[in-house]
Amino acid sequence: MIIAVVFFLLQPSFAQKRYFTKTGTVSFRAGTAVEDIDGLNKSATCVFDASSGDIQFAILIKGFEFKSALMMEHFNENYMESDKFSKSIFKGKIINLDKINFLKDGTYPVKVKGILEIHGVKKEVETNGQFKVLGETVIAIAEFEIVLEDYAIAVPSLVKDKISKTARIKVNCSNSILK
Amino acid sequence: MPTWKKILIGFSLIAFFGAAAGYYLYNKKPADVRRLQPDLSVTANFLILAFNSDEAAANLKYLDKVIAVKGIIADIKIDSSTGQASVILDSGDPLSAVTCSFYNDEIGAVQKLSKGTEVVIKGKCTGKLMDVVLNNCSIIQ
Repeated sequence: MIIAVVFFLLQPSFAQKRYFTKTGTVSFRAGTAVEDIDGLNKSATCVFDASSGDIQFAILIKGFEFKSALMMEHFNENYMESDKFSKSIFKGKIINLDKINFLKDGTYPVKVKGILEIHGVKKEVETNGQFKVLGETVIAIAEFEIVLEDYAIAVPSLVKDKISKTARIKVNCSNSILK
Repeated sequence: MPTWKKILIGFSLIAFFGAAAGYYLYNKKPADVRRLQPDLSVTANFLILAFNSDEAAANLKYLDKVIAVKGIIADIKIDSSTGQASVILDSGDPLSAVTCSFYNDEIGAVQKLSKGTEVVIKGKCTGKLMDVVLNNCSIIQ
């Protein structure tokens, strides 16, 4: 996947404008009324091409930070098996590209569709988000839900009242033009 | 005191300490990496070379470890609204750098840094995406 991103970034650019960040944030909540479960990743990579609409996100699972050491350990060892599946990747396309004017500051609704890979399982997903254009910066914002079972993330019945069946994921990546 | 009472008290004490230990572990925060001694010291160039030439071996050696990385600052990113601060270290490889993500309360220290200067940063290695990423970073030199 890294080869794909690198190749993507090395494509000759004419009128193409590519935007990129290595310090995007992705957070999730999978808690219930009984317990808060929140993780935050501050080193997401995001890259998208304003001409073709291709967009990719990638995160290291071990990069998620938690308030509790035990929560972090269980997240990595039991639920996400991060030694086996070290990354989560989204590869897709902005399907309403024509509605976004990258030359004019403003907030634009965005629709993306693509393949989301979590815990080694790939699923086709479609979700809405926003692009906030501020000069040469585009902030990509999205919030969506995933069903843990869909990605083979098993929640033992012992903790099923502490961990939600779904996780709410928030993405906030401030992308700069790649010169 | 009759034996059964002694046993009961014994059990209650064990149960109490067990619960206390459990409660302590349950709520324990992740270790503050700033207080830990680095397991390894490397230069940014060496770290990227290691990951580029054999990622599996590099993961075994560096993943989850606290490492001190010396390198030249290529870029500094600070978001005052979220308290998020990151420093990108040059590695000699144009495609891969070392990205260091700091503790939120280190933002003051990061603001004092300038591009092009050499710095030593301590953090926990979380793997390689395009860059090798270090979390829980602080400046040690």
